[in-house]
Amino acid sequence: MVNKKEVFLFLLLFSLGIFFIFIYLYIKQAEKDIFTKIEINRIEQISYLFQNIEKDIIDNNKIKNSKQLIKLLYNAKTRKKYEKYLSFIATPSIKYIYLLTKDNKGRFRFLLDASKIDKANFFEKFDVTNQKYKALYITKEAQIIRQEDMENLFLTYIYPIKVDEQIIAVLSVDITTKIKQTLIELTKPLETFFIILVIFVFLFVAMTIIQVFHYFITRKKIFTDPLTQLYNRNYLAEVSPMLKLENYSVAMLDLDKFKVINDTYGHKAGDFILAQSAQILKNSTRGSDILIRYGGEEFLLFIYKRDNDNNSTLKICERIRKNIDTNKFIYDYNEIQVQVSIGIHEHPHLEKNLNEAIKIADKMLYIAKTKGRNRVINYIDSKKDTHVKSNNLDFVKDAIDDNRVVCFYQPIYNYLDKTILKYEALVRIIDKHGEIISPIFLLEDLKHTNIHYKLTQRILFIIFEKFKNIDKHVGINLNFSDLINEDIEKTILDAFKKNPNLASRVTIEILESDEIKNIPLFKEKIELMHSYGAQVSIDDFGSGYSNFKTILDIEANFLKIDGSLIKNIDINEKDFKVVKSIIHFAKVANMKTIAEFVHSQEVYDKLLPLDLDYMQGYYIAEPSPTLLNVKDLF
Amino acid sequence: MKLIITFLLSALFLFASDSNHLKVKILENILSEISINEPIKIWSDDVKILTEFKHSSKFKTTTKCGDANIIVLQRKKNLTPKCRRKHIFVLSYDLLSDIDNSFGALFWKKGRPNIIILQPRVKAQSIAVSKNLDPYLEEKIW
Repeated sequence: MVNKKEVFLFLLLFSLGIFFIFIYLYIKQAEKDIFTKIEINRIEQISYLFQNIEKDIIDNNKIKNSKQLIKLLYNAKTRKKYEKYLSFIATPSIKYIYLLTKDNKGRFRFLLDASKIDKANFFEKFDVTNQKYKALYITKEAQIIRQEDMENLFLTYIYPIKVDEQIIAVLSVDITTKIKQTLIELTKPLETFFIILVIFVFLFVAMTIIQVFHYFITRKKIFTDPLTQLYNRNYLAEVSPMLKLENYSVAMLDLDKFKVINDTYGHKAGDFILAQSAQILKNSTRGSDILIRYGGEEFLLFIYKRDNDNNSTLKICERIRKNIDTNKFIYDYNEIQVQVSIGIHEHPHLEKNLNEAIKIADKMLYIAKTKGRNRVINYIDSKKDTHVKSNNLDFVKDAIDDNRVVCFYQPIYNYLDKTILKYEALVRIIDKHGEIISPIFLLEDLKHTNIHYKLTQRILFIIFEKFKNIDKHVGINLNFSDLINEDIEKTILDAFKKNPNLASRVTIEILESDEIKNIPLFKEKIELMHSYGAQVSIDDFGSGYSNFKTILDIEANFLKIDGSLIKNIDINEKDFKVVKSIIHFAKVANMKTIAEFVHSQEVYDKLLPLDLDYMQGYYIAEPSPTLLNVKDLF
Repeated sequence: MKLIITFLLSALFLFASDSNHLKVKILENILSEISINEPIKIWSDDVKILTEFKHSSKFKTTTKCGDANIIVLQRKKNLTPKCRRKHIFVLSYDLLSDIDNSFGALFWKKGRPNIIILQPRVKAQSIAVSKNLDPYLEEKIW
């Protein structure tokens, strides 16, 4: 899109340009008005003088017609006298003053000429071409002739000398351009300034227009992949901030075994397949969908969701898959089989951002590949089997929004001195019918989604509120991704800082089965928790693939043996041996051991001879919304 | 033709400051309206006018006064004795009086171009003048 700043700049410059033109025209008009005022003023003065001269010549000499006037002025003395009168009018700006008459052939002739220079002889012919002379004879009114660039003349005023309404002569005065020139010279710098200003402004406007034009020309190149003619990742970066994710599903598409095509038929064939496939993808989607070449043979598709068609995403993806699968790709006489795998996330708006949504769609694509390729895997579908009460993330989101997230607490029992060491906090959701649901299976699906972090934050808030003022210990389950999440870390540390006695009563239980990819970061976060006095427990130990060295390095306080090893310990000798070994390892590593999933007396009794520290399970106490006391156990 | 001369006069009126080209055009129009029983060949003491005639006029020009039959004269002193009897068209009103056989003039009066063709001299020199020049015909010099 064109930058808003550029549009603003363009409009500003354009407005300035118009404004300056207006000012320029205004100055020109003002200049004209000044000239007109000067003109009127001068002419008024001259007009009065001419009236007097007319009166003097006509009345004093009883002139009745032009012949008598010519006869009168034929006399050189008389001429001299009247020329002297006329010369009184002369000023530096009045160049010529003369009296004309028409001869019998209609030609003008000089009768008097009071001009100091270029003086005409008596009765010398004077060629006039201006129509105002004709107008004077028709209207019998004085006329003003505006002279343009004529020998420094500004205007000529012609005044009719009349006897009985008959014009017998014309008094004429030529005014020089001196005043006009002075005024023009005065206003010239201002005019020039505005002209330059307008030129500059319009140059800038032109430059802005050229830039915008250039932008639109290059935009297509910048945002288009030259091979497939689809949008590229630049376009994604450009539009992603403006995309309303709630209106779209996100699909990741990848051509199956494309490397094999490249290796077998060559890169040119690969390019051909890419271009052809892109065309099929384009033809299989709608104008409202956005198709982007995301990587080599990977495409990203934003599918516009229409209110009346809930299945449009799946339909389009299936159509794409089928169209690719059934198309005959023939390159260099070879028919090449091409298929596509597609991963879909139908509700990208539920994720923290677009990248997270793309990641999930990519995960679904990965599943599609691992399941045998040439298929469509929908994020919602992939979770269907594991959902207990709901098959979409909205269930958890709604629960958070409606404040239906609660915590249950299960005691961790010290069987040696018959006391409760602490309580493990377990999340529960009250569904819309009031039923308490354990979201244990849902949690796996929530992993890495924004809702998961929101849920964790809500749980932390509930736990900290409950334990900040009571002298009890609590264990909180977190996974590695929670631990490195800035918002969650802030929530924990803020609570620790506000309640100095709280941290020492909190045990962070880190799931051992959780993928801990960044060991140094993991250690750093554990050390941070330790620094506030919080304890750390390795949860579900024995179920995952722990690095023993890492377990030792982080100096965990507790090691909780995974329930899968405990639940059948009374009947499974192998489990018993594994548990025994873990207890031995923990002792050596100076960690207290906790056995979870103690669900029967048999299991409890079997564990007694082992050098365990604590036990937890339904046999001892079920999770409860309240904190149970020792008397409530068993 | 009358209209053309009027138009040219008006144009000359407007562009008086840079008038050589138009001056020559008016002269050309005037000379086109006269006849001297032989092809007109022009000489002028004004080099600019002569050059302009040479480039734009339909009339022949000459750099020698003696070879010309029409002389366009700016200054009296440039008129050699052997050329005094030729047809002379002057570029000043006063020259009409100073040079007895000058038959016409184009000059500026009060910033406006004026043309005068002296009828008695035209007749005396057997110059035929077209009716289009009637508005400029004068019986005498005033």
